Amino acid sequence: MSKMTQRKSLEYIKKDYKRTRTLPGSWYLASYKFKFNITHMKPFLEKLKEKKLIANQCSSCNRVFFPPRLVCGKCFVKPDKWVDIRDTASVSTYAISYLKDPETGEVQQRPMVLVHHDGADTTSIAELAPDVNVKDTYVGMPIKVHWRDERTGGIMDIEYYDKVDDDSDDLRYKK
Amino acid sequence: MQKVGIVGYYQVKLYSDANYGRYEMIFEASRGALDKAGLKKKDISTVISCTNDYYDGRTISNCFTVEVGGGYMADESKVEMDGAHAVLYGLMRVLSGNHNLAVVWGGSMASCYPYHAARLYETDPTWERPLAYVNDITSAGFQMRAYMEKYGVTAEEIAKVVVKNKKNAAKNPLALEEAQLANLSVKDVLNSGIYADPVTELMVAPPCDSVAALLLAPEKQALKITDKPVWIKGVGYNQDAYYLGDRDLSGCKSMNLAAKMAYSAAGIKDPSSEIDVAELFEAYAHEELIFAEELGFADKGKGAEINSAINGDLPINPSGGALGGNPPCGTGLIRVIEAVKQLTGEAGEYQVKGAKKAVASGQIGMCAQNNILYVLEGN
Repeated sequence: MSKMTQRKSLEYIKKDYKRTRTLPGSWYLASYKFKFNITHMKPFLEKLKEKKLIANQCSSCNRVFFPPRLVCGKCFVKPDKWVDIRDTASVSTYAISYLKDPETGEVQQRPMVLVHHDGADTTSIAELAPDVNVKDTYVGMPIKVHWRDERTGGIMDIEYYDKVDDDSDDLRYKK
Repeated sequence: MQKVGIVGYYQVKLYSDANYGRYEMIFEASRGALDKAGLKKKDISTVISCTNDYYDGRTISNCFTVEVGGGYMADESKVEMDGAHAVLYGLMRVLSGNHNLAVVWGGSMASCYPYHAARLYETDPTWERPLAYVNDITSAGFQMRAYMEKYGVTAEEIAKVVVKNKKNAAKNPLALEEAQLANLSVKDVLNSGIYADPVTELMVAPPCDSVAALLLAPEKQALKITDKPVWIKGVGYNQDAYYLGDRDLSGCKSMNLAAKMAYSAAGIKDPSSEIDVAELFEAYAHEELIFAEELGFADKGKGAEINSAINGDLPINPSGGALGGNPPCGTGLIRVIEAVKQLTGEAGEYQVKGAKKAVASGQIGMCAQNNILYVLEGN
């Protein structure tokens, strides 16, 4: 086929489509390593073992980050202060996800929430306790950390968040 | 064309296995560049990063680096080629007239993945991969052999490039420690482990960890920021064919065309007399000779005859070049930074006396498939 004939229509490309074949492929990520800094998270992880929460604070804009951040993006400096924060929080926003068990086909309704800890300026992603009714969830709902029984000093020590009553003792300010 | 100046830079020291988190390293580079220029976060208007999903082992490799690279609430984008290509993107952004300060950063950590094994995936999966294991080193072997055969260049002449660059690297405090070899001999280079005959271990630019950052500003702002900006006088870039079989491997056509483009923009007629210093990204020792020829510093096949030592006629890679450490995605950017250091007189022990005009190159692909060249001039 000459160049001129080819230009007249795109049919000469399209007629090849039926011969396309699909092959499986993979990317061997097992040979990769991932390095990350631990100095900015170590004090935080150590405190988790004692059922205590701390957050880091940028001394330039005074924002309190929970979980701790390496860099304050706004000021472009490292947050250099540690502050204690409480284990009570409120639901900042939430979405309900429907997770299907691949084996049984059973569908679970689970509210995924953004948690705003009392004393922090940022929110973090978490799940609510399994006994919380999806329909009862609302923005601003008071919640509290449910600690794992055996804590290893990792972010997973926070198992999920329990719902607390509006007039609960947990919400009262204690010295 | 509006003048664009390089107003700041920072390079993290090259390490073969850095005791750094990835984000820390990026933060050190971009914060360091801002501090050097005496600027603040609010001065940044655009951020161009250069990382590679394949090298980082995750997709969208710039999505975790927004805060540490200075991209928070700024105009941010990524180039997935060499750091020198990111400079081009930053340059275009500044030339658009919409930006007063571009931060360009690039680099990666070669200690986190098998660099040369990842590059096996560069060949064509249908026609090339099933037939032979060819990665960047093997293809460099093709190129080196083709170059030596065509022009009668000996392996000793190519080994001399390694000796010179490793010796230069010994004077550069930021170069890779393992590459700082002041007492290397030609014999050592030829007797080092064979990677893909005729390419030996020491002829390969050692992959390592580092991040570098550069600041670009339009003329008016550049002069406000610093007394010693370095101006980008010309830039040229070109891409050769993907298939190795479609190219003449004894030369580098794309570098030739990139050089023509850059020289015409900068008004350079006789490169060998007008250029004072060259910083070339030679991923393999023989590439430095091929590039020098394509850049018009010597006739074809005569690249080895240039006196390219620091105090020579035309110093090439006084910083040690890529043979002094090759952080993937950052090397081309470091070449630009080294050229800037030469022009501002900040190169210290490896300073070329009276350097006024410099060229810096970046490359990507097998056998330097895609090349980019900058012509830089001091103030």
